Amino acid sequence: MAKIDRKFSKELKKYGAFDFTSCYNCGNCTAVCSLATKDEAFPRELVRLSALGVKEEIESSLKPWSCYYCGECSSLCPQSADPGELMMSLRRWLTARYDWTGLSGLLYKSVPVLVGAMLLMVAAVILFANYKQFNVKEIMHFGHLFEMYAIATVFLLILLPNILRMWYLTVIRPGKNPPFTKYFKSAGVLFLHMFTQKRTLGCDDNQRRWFEHFILVIGYLTLLMMTVLLGWMGTENIFVIVAGYLVSAIVFIVTADFVKERIKAKKELNRHSRLKKLSRHSRPSDWLFVIWLFLMGLTAFAVRLFVDLDIINNNLWIYLIHLTVLVQWALIIVPFGKWTHFMYRSFSMYFQSLITENNKGS
Amino acid sequence: MEKEKINLFFDAMVIGGGIAGGESALNLANNGYKVIIVEKDLSIGGKMIMLSKVFPTLDCSACITTPKVSEISRHNNITIFTESDVNSVVKMGERHFRAEITRRPRYVVAEDCTGCQKCEEACPVIVKDQYQYNLIGRKAAFIPFSIASPKIAAIDIENCTLCGACEKACPSNCIDFTQKALDYVIDIKSVVVATGFKLFDPLKIERYGFGKFKNVLTSMQMERQLAPTRPFNTILRPSDGKVPDKIAYVLCAGSRDDSEGNPICSQICCMYSIKQAQLLMGALPMADITIYYIDIRAFGKGYDEFYEQAKGMGVSFIKGKIGKITKGERGDLTLRYEDVSTGKIKEARHDMVVLSVGVLANDEAVPMFRSNTLLTDPLNYIRQEDPIISPAKTSIEGVFVSGTASGPMDIPDSILSAGAAASQATAYLKRIN
Ligand SMILES: Cc1cc2nc3c(=O)[nH]c(=O)nc-3n(C[C@H](O)[C@H](O)[C@H](O)COP(=O)(O)OP(=O)(O)OC[C@H]3O[C@@H](n4cnc5c(N)ncnc54)[C@H](O)[C@@H]3O)c2cc1C
Ligand code: SF4
Ligand code: SF4
Ligand code: SF4
Ligand code: SF4
Repeated sequence: MAKIDRKFSKELKKYGAFDFTSCYNCGNCTAVCSLATKDEAFPRELVRLSALGVKEEIESSLKPWSCYYCGECSSLCPQSADPGELMMSLRRWLTARYDWTGLSGLLYKSVPVLVGAMLLMVAAVILFANYKQFNVKEIMHFGHLFEMYAIATVFLLILLPNILRMWYLTVIRPGKNPPFTKYFKSAGVLFLHMFTQKRTLGCDDNQRRWFEHFILVIGYLTLLMMTVLLGWMGTENIFVIVAGYLVSAIVFIVTADFVKERIKAKKELNRHSRLKKLSRHSRPSDWLFVIWLFLMGLTAFAVRLFVDLDIINNNLWIYLIHLTVLVQWALIIVPFGKWTHFMYRSFSMYFQSLITENNKGS
Repeated sequence: MEKEKINLFFDAMVIGGGIAGGESALNLANNGYKVIIVEKDLSIGGKMIMLSKVFPTLDCSACITTPKVSEISRHNNITIFTESDVNSVVKMGERHFRAEITRRPRYVVAEDCTGCQKCEEACPVIVKDQYQYNLIGRKAAFIPFSIASPKIAAIDIENCTLCGACEKACPSNCIDFTQKALDYVIDIKSVVVATGFKLFDPLKIERYGFGKFKNVLTSMQMERQLAPTRPFNTILRPSDGKVPDKIAYVLCAGSRDDSEGNPICSQICCMYSIKQAQLLMGALPMADITIYYIDIRAFGKGYDEFYEQAKGMGVSFIKGKIGKITKGERGDLTLRYEDVSTGKIKEARHDMVVLSVGVLANDEAVPMFRSNTLLTDPLNYIRQEDPIISPAKTSIEGVFVSGTASGPMDIPDSILSAGAAASQATAYLKRIN
């Protein structure tokens, strides 16, 4: 029998959900959602489960990851229950459930904790620079090493275990054990979605958003690879240097346009919902990933510029800023922030295909 | 030059000649008070006179409205002004209101018109017939509808080409294009506001395709198709005149919907849809009828039994609000919804769809009151100052509200409300005299 948690709706509201308990249970949201399908109907079911507080079923549901928050359901909901926002909050809540460290939830719910953690990183960088007596060469050398090891560690200690937890909660615990071979057969799905986020294409009218998203993912990954693997900032290789500048330029332009479009879309959405109470509740932490990615690109660009202009030795601060941004990104934002949604989405598609393949088989 | 205004005296003025206004007027008149009904339309009777049958008794609506209407129009104590607008109502003192009224010209001498319809036959101009909710056409010289009261012709001057054919055709010579609007000053002691309700405009819900897909109708259009004075004498779908055999009802179209600005329940649409479904089962025994609902609200006496009866007759009820309607083959329509009982998205094909449009407030009476403010509630219905103890009382002493002007209600409740307004007005008149 399903266990019901009466306090669940209160808990969920801390993750941003709004007035979903006013839901009529009419199904309009599901019927108008352009991503819901005959096999996978949402968001009404999740609104219902959330209102009742059937945690276990929510934990095992992959549906929240199939929603790309186009907002259509919310603007047409007859009760202004904001089902789109509920789906977003469920993603935040699930992220916290998957995370074994428990930090994701904490950082979502509390801005002071988030700010504190960020400041801690600033302090650490300054202390470290002090310890190295502000030696540019040594600090840059260490910074480069940090990039590689930190990313590997975060992946092994946090992201991987969290994905395993997600797998356990959504595939194993509900008893859907697919045979071993299915894992290989479906792997293609994982990579396809990881890189393209193809599913957003299903949302009406946002081809452009999807395309920009795609360019951004590829662009930032390339930039990251260039700094981490090719050592863009320290290299003498003219080809790498020029390519790095080029990629940065593209990435900056697309980011600016992307953010502009998002703000416009949000305004549009708010105008559509005739009741003003339906304004979007973006959490600061939702935007951090994008902003920090941008800052990282920008500071990396500046550092390289300073190197090329040969003024880096007198301007160590620019590198320290870059390092701080990098450390914050790698240790806080990547493992605990919205970025993980991107990862979980891809895995959700993967798990989903495992389960459906399995169902077909049985 | 100041136009001469005609001065008249009454005990009470009823604004709006629907079933509620008529009932209030009749009660007051039977108590010996002189009453004037000011109706903006060409006929009294309001929405009820257009209906087919009424739930839950399935009495013929025209057959109960017509005797009532003729009783009202023949009553010695009642004066009826159709095609008239109340321009202002000013409270002059403790027991005295003064209203300014304009009676628009009909271009037909009312006393002489016999209702022979010769002008109608002669007129070459055809426009949409608003009294048949645009299902068919009418002429520019026309009698509004067969059971209109008064049943006399009128000229739709906006569409008339002044060809003169009607003038020649009229055997009693009553067409008169020189008629001018007449202004009246009316002194009264009390006012009853019975301006009724407006229907939700389904064009606002674009995803339901009303206006775009011909076979998407409103419930009022279906009432006309089912009424004894119906235009086609059977049920036809507009796109190709086919007799439909798979009809869907979309409940809460524009009611209980925050996103459409009307969050409340209209109270009548579940019931009238169930009624229409039963009538359709009678008219088209082979047809499948499906009602898509959020909740079925059958709250009144005998209503739930009426609902059960519809189920027993084979009407299908599905819980799930229709998300969108798209065009299928040959004029058919596809309705997308989530079947809430199974949690599955479904697409159903129907050859005709009826939108059970909701009730909206008609707040036209508010600006008429110049010296005191006629307050409304947040959804623009006339505010009842004391809805439980004296339901007809408004924010102005001596002004009472009757029927759906104060909120959505069905006919039995409108009649009760009209009775309450009349008795409260009577008590008031007794007190001030
Ligand atoms: C499709 C449909 C089916 C229905 N079926 C049923 C049923 O089966 N059984 C049932 O009980 N109820 C039914 N109803 C409800 C019923 O129609 C209403 O309860 C009833 O008509 C309310 O009467 P009323 O006099 O308050 O308002 P109305 O009928 O709206 O009358 C208002 C009158 O006031 C006049 N008016 C408006 N503004 C002004 C103005 N500014 N100046 C002068 N005059 C004005 C109007 O022209 C009209 O004549 C149905 C309604 C609909 C829409
Ligand atoms: S969230 Fe809104 S649209 Fe969805 S079922 Fe609830 S009331 Fe209906
Ligand atoms: S926000 Fe968009 S994608 Fe998400 S459930 Fe609502 S309609 Fe579907
Ligand atoms: S004068 Fe006007 S109303 Fe009369 S027949 Fe000609 S068009 Fe019709
Ligand atoms: S009466 Fe029925 S159809 Fe009408 S608004 Fe209420 S619940 Fe909806």
